[in-house]
Amino acid sequence: MTSLTTGLKGRSELGVALLLGAAGVVVFLDANGLVTPYSKSDPVGPKTVPFIVAGMLVVCAVLLAINVLRGGKGEAEGGEDVDLDHPADWKTILPLAGAFIANILLIDWAGWVISGTVLFWGSVLALGSRRYIRDGLISVALSLLTFYGFYLGLGIALPAGLLEGIL
Amino acid sequence: MDVWSSLMDGFATALTPMNFLYAVIGVILGTAVGVLPGLGPAMTVALLLPVTYALEPTSAFIMFAGIYYGGMYGGSTTSILLNTPGESSSVVTAIEGNKMAKAGRAAQALATAAIGSFVAGTIGTALLAVCAPIVVKFAVSLGAPSYFAIMVLALLAVTAVLGSSRLRGFASLGLGLAIGLVGMDSVTGQRRLTFGQPLLADGLDIVVVAVAIFAVGEALWVAAHLRRTPLHAIPVGQPWMGKSDWKRSWKPWLRGTAFGFPFGALPAGGAEIPTFLSYVTEKRLSKHPEEFGKGAIEGVAGPEAANNAAAAGTLTPMLALGLPTNATAAVMLAAFTSYGIQPGPQLFTSEGPLVWALIASLFIGNLLLLIINLPLAPMWAKLLQLPRPYLYAGILFFATLGAYSVNLQAFDLVILLVLGALGFMMRRFGLPVLPLILGVILGPRIEGQLRKTLQLSAGDPAGLFGEPIAVVIYVIIALILLWPFAYKLIRRNRPAAAPAAGASALATEPDDTVHSNHDAVYSDHKERP
Amino acid sequence: MTVVVGYVPTPEGEAALTQAITEARKNNSTLVLINSSKGEAAVDNRFAPEGEIQDIEQRLASQGIQYLIKRPVRGHDAAAEVLDAAEEHKADLIVIGLRRRTPVGKLIMGSTSQRILLEADCPVLAVKAS
Repeated sequence: MTSLTTGLKGRSELGVALLLGAAGVVVFLDANGLVTPYSKSDPVGPKTVPFIVAGMLVVCAVLLAINVLRGGKGEAEGGEDVDLDHPADWKTILPLAGAFIANILLIDWAGWVISGTVLFWGSVLALGSRRYIRDGLISVALSLLTFYGFYLGLGIALPAGLLEGIL
Repeated sequence: MDVWSSLMDGFATALTPMNFLYAVIGVILGTAVGVLPGLGPAMTVALLLPVTYALEPTSAFIMFAGIYYGGMYGGSTTSILLNTPGESSSVVTAIEGNKMAKAGRAAQALATAAIGSFVAGTIGTALLAVCAPIVVKFAVSLGAPSYFAIMVLALLAVTAVLGSSRLRGFASLGLGLAIGLVGMDSVTGQRRLTFGQPLLADGLDIVVVAVAIFAVGEALWVAAHLRRTPLHAIPVGQPWMGKSDWKRSWKPWLRGTAFGFPFGALPAGGAEIPTFLSYVTEKRLSKHPEEFGKGAIEGVAGPEAANNAAAAGTLTPMLALGLPTNATAAVMLAAFTSYGIQPGPQLFTSEGPLVWALIASLFIGNLLLLIINLPLAPMWAKLLQLPRPYLYAGILFFATLGAYSVNLQAFDLVILLVLGALGFMMRRFGLPVLPLILGVILGPRIEGQLRKTLQLSAGDPAGLFGEPIAVVIYVIIALILLWPFAYKLIRRNRPAAAPAAGASALATEPDDTVHSNHDAVYSDHKERP
Repeated sequence: MTVVVGYVPTPEGEAALTQAITEARKNNSTLVLINSSKGEAAVDNRFAPEGEIQDIEQRLASQGIQYLIKRPVRGHDAAAEVLDAAEEHKADLIVIGLRRRTPVGKLIMGSTSQRILLEADCPVLAVKAS
């Protein structure tokens, strides 16, 4: 049992293979459900390409699983600001995702100004900045600026939400 | 309409105050983005896609082109001063450039990079202006079968040739194609992969996908692995070059351009190979080979020129055929689609003024970039001291804003998050991003061409091979796909042949023959006056 | 006996280090060198490059000084790091470098130096670049 789990731990990439396989199956099932009377003007039909894609995904999934089990490894992407020596910093990502989700939940009923502020402030906090007040002010300013900027410059009216009458 | 008059008209459009302003904004943004670590031109154009809905297409593309070229210039500044190149095409510049900077010659390195980029960019754009119409003329004669074959080739070339793992490239492509399938089938109107969600009926907006993969995915990835230890930027004054530097640089500039443009134009090319080739060539041809590795100016001049020429080259298939070969070109293609402009050979006829204005503004942009990069390099370097929390929070902020403003739907933000997570996962497990975005953009078009082909041949699969060009391309595709297997087979046969007498003798001989050849060459040279 | 020196790769930092070495030799103290960065930006020119730190180590070793070099990067500003180190190592002396300022600059004296001067529990020696 333990050797299996330790063996699997290093193979998180198998999750990718799983994802690919699942995607392939989904595409296949969805395309299968389509009704396609044969038509002369469209011999290929809407099913063909999805089947090809599904097949491709499943084949890749299997090959990838074999590759990973044999010890192959996908190379994580490097970059100027990236330090790959340490594992992913979940303490940063989860709050970032949280700020993002908060924005999604708030944007329609609380309005962009509030949700955008939460998004920016939350993100900056998650990334390690400690100047709470300054960040808060910048967040509000950014949200307000973009709110008016988009309306006046681009004609796009972002939701005002709770601040409906004020803005 | 010949090239010259079209180009002149293009200049007239590009030089209007409005468009000139957008060119300036584009190059400034592009340079800033190129300098700043963690950002790139592809991400920036993606972030700007929603904003540009309100703009005239011409102005928007002028700005994008400025960002594209500007990214190259900014990237070289960082690679010289920091030795951490952003894009893989700047890796080679960093080798010699950073050594030059450490030796106190940062000003010369920056100067040769900027001027070389200008020379290469101008020549490259001129070649683009000449070659693109030729390609278009050839392409317009193609029918659906050939066009289908070319698109498949482009997809395969990017997937199977670039990147370290073909398997993962294909996996990424598969995912991209699947994403492209979501929505209504163009021919029959049936819904695919919508899972009963009415909001998905129109498919996933390419803008949302691009922003999610390039901006959100990248930001999340970098945030997860932020480099904690700060780097040291080598301080530099204004870039300039002495007479001997000029003498040593001009030929590498031209040679680099010659390397860069063709590779940029090929679907499987990209900018890494020509910069590397340029470096190796310059090292061979240099009169100061011992300087390489310690700061040889040719090692900066050549690769930088190759870099920029490749960027110009990439625009050739992008504009002429609608085939993008790098991430930024792919995002620009997405921009075309979102404006309702069909990319492809007919682009030159249907949107001629726009394309020529774009090309003209590339010339202008190049000049602007030289002007802002040469004297202002130290200022750009200061940009590196921007606190990163603001940078990445800003990316997420504007990504959200942009994606939301496309349809004013919170649902799009959910897609943004999901695809952003996908982008993160792909970067973690080494699945290249380019095949995915190409799959999303080209998938529907390829399907369209396929169906058209078989429609024309009334269902007969032989229709795929109906045109001679198509057959040729399929042969090339077969070669590309089978090459690695053939290579392995050849390798396996070689050890069996080694024990044979002749082979081992050959194996030890090369050194002597090389030496004597070399001497012969040198002595020849010495004897000639 | 411990001497804490706040180091930056500038003439002022150099002067502070030289003075700190002199002080450390007087009483055979341990020299604690702090060169920190907030780590917020990609580039921080006040964070000494690796090569420079190695040179300093050689210099200290050749003079027979017991030393400890700390390079924290955890989002705190320089003053906080120096004060933290002084407290942790029970410093007897803090040495910092001071820049000559323009008349206006004098009004807004470097907040780092000011904080250290005002909040340190032990004597602080402020040195100007030679």
